[in-house]
Amino acid sequence: MKSLLDITIWIVLIAHLFMALVAAWRVWRGENSLSRLAGLDLASTLTIAVFVIISIIRANIIYIDVAIAAAALSYISTIALAKYISDHRVF
Amino acid sequence: MSHTLQFSVPLFLVYLALTGNVEPANLVVGALVAVGISLLRPKMDLPLIHWRRLPQFLWAGIRYLFIVAGDVIRGGLSTARIVLDPNLPINPGIIAIPSGTQSELGTALSAHSISLSPGEMVVAIDDEGVMYTHCLNVDDSERMVADAQNLRKSLLSRMFE
Amino acid sequence: METVLQLLAFLLLVLGTLFSLIGVIGFIRLPDVYTRLHATGKVSVFGLVFLLLAADILTPLATWKALLLIFFVLAASPAVAHAISSSAYRTGVPLVGKRDDLKGKLEVGQEKD
Repeated sequence: MKSLLDITIWIVLIAHLFMALVAAWRVWRGENSLSRLAGLDLASTLTIAVFVIISIIRANIIYIDVAIAAAALSYISTIALAKYISDHRVF
Repeated sequence: MSHTLQFSVPLFLVYLALTGNVEPANLVVGALVAVGISLLRPKMDLPLIHWRRLPQFLWAGIRYLFIVAGDVIRGGLSTARIVLDPNLPINPGIIAIPSGTQSELGTALSAHSISLSPGEMVVAIDDEGVMYTHCLNVDDSERMVADAQNLRKSLLSRMFE
Repeated sequence: METVLQLLAFLLLVLGTLFSLIGVIGFIRLPDVYTRLHATGKVSVFGLVFLLLAADILTPLATWKALLLIFFVLAASPAVAHAISSSAYRTGVPLVGKRDDLKGKLEVGQEKD
């Protein structure tokens, strides 16, 4: 059971990194800026997932703190960018 | 229950979850931080919940959470079926859903739980509280949406009135 | 007990990864911004929450922090989807599909960049 869990979690980590690359491809080749922004949001969500997986692998709670900070920053910056693209001002 | 108390108790719980120890010094600092932040909050028009109505509020809130969870799981499975279908059977569009409540908080919570379930997403809300919702499959959503919104509305009004 | 918890964590990890994979496939396959946001929401609501529940079981001491992050993700991801879609509608990104009840109700500008 233990070794199965270890192997699974590495596969999960590699799958999430690959999916983040796919999302980044959409940022590079998007048809308009909002499509790119949606790709950026997806990539940052997957990055938060990678932090959570690292916290499981290292069995260390500190990476969940990193994930909380990354989540706060990425959600706020995505909302600010979306508002900037449509209104040309942030607040 | 005053507004300050209603604000600072959840903030205190968040502080405890973030720091994760229950030494007396940390409890005191957390209480000070929570009360300080809730004194500095901007003016908001939020409903006040009376002590005697707290059990009713919690009961309606828990039922609301379960209904939202059911919606989310159903929406996720149907979206998964659409995405994995080789023909991509989507029929997207924007439909208008009247929220049925006058309060801003009720409209905002309804919009949140609609957007949370994959397959439906609120694009804009006008002044009368009509939520313009983008759906992956217009016909399905339009059939279900009236009943779901009635259920949400009754639970939300039981929570905040 | 230990084995049951580990089995549960294993199932949560596999399910979360599968849902994330479906979300990313949908993100690539679906035709426009609005429909793609549905797929993005699936990644954050199912993929991330299932991973966090697995972390809740496997990482020592993580219980309350992981639950807090779950609450935060569930509160914030609809706001992000709404912000992107409303911004897309107001900059005039075209909509795939026939029905549009919102047409003419918002002032739609041109995207300048």
